[in-house]
Amino acid sequence: MIFSILVLGAPFNSQSSYSAFRFVKAALESEHTIYRVFFYQDGIHNSSAIATPPQDEFNLYQGWQDLQKKYSLDFVTCIAAAARRGLLNESEAQRHNKDNSNMAKQFDLSGLGQLVEATALSDQVITFGQ
Amino acid sequence: MNQPETKRILIVNQSSPYSSGNAKESLDLALAAGTFEQDVSILFTGDACYQLLAAQNPKEIDSKNLNQMLKVLPIYGVENLFVDQQSLFDRNIKHLDEDLKIIKVSTSESRELYQNATTVFRF
Repeated sequence: MIFSILVLGAPFNSQSSYSAFRFVKAALESEHTIYRVFFYQDGIHNSSAIATPPQDEFNLYQGWQDLQKKYSLDFVTCIAAAARRGLLNESEAQRHNKDNSNMAKQFDLSGLGQLVEATALSDQVITFGQ
Repeated sequence: MNQPETKRILIVNQSSPYSSGNAKESLDLALAAGTFEQDVSILFTGDACYQLLAAQNPKEIDSKNLNQMLKVLPIYGVENLFVDQQSLFDRNIKHLDEDLKIIKVSTSESRELYQNATTVFRF
């Protein structure tokens, strides 16, 4: 089965992004395909490069980054949702004249068309959050 | 972008217009899906009914008028707008913005919308 995943909840604030993480991991371990993980609304916070949970807690941010590297996953963060919430990669930071960027490089910034395309090309889209 | 097969997308909107980003961000998704020529329907239910009122003045709270943005949906090919009749009744809403071509549906009709959709997004 080809899945795409829509993550709408912020880490820690809600369980939804951790559930999404576990689902993606379980799907890949049972030989399903993850076409794309799309981060939208508060879900964009999962792509933070600087969030630092206490050391005795599970680091979901690192978890996503490791998962992306291990399986070469397509992680897309909504560019408009991210910019309005203060999450920018290097080129966006430059474009908006900001001193710093704060987005992990395992995530690509792009538009909602990527979610629409993922919907069209996947058997199922599973939403986490809302 | 690859040439995708057309899916039937249902966007279920259940949030009031200005209390969160849901109304705006679901509208953005609807516009994107319309742009990519997908079959999109929107169902307004619960407090989302308030998005459909005429004469909104969100300038007072420094917000964009979402109701005006809803009106551009048909230009993007999103023409199937539905509202849950019971939600309107519960809120004593009798008049919707007449510029919006929106169809009132019963509970069983909205159930059909869910059944006909291949993908449902809720906001």
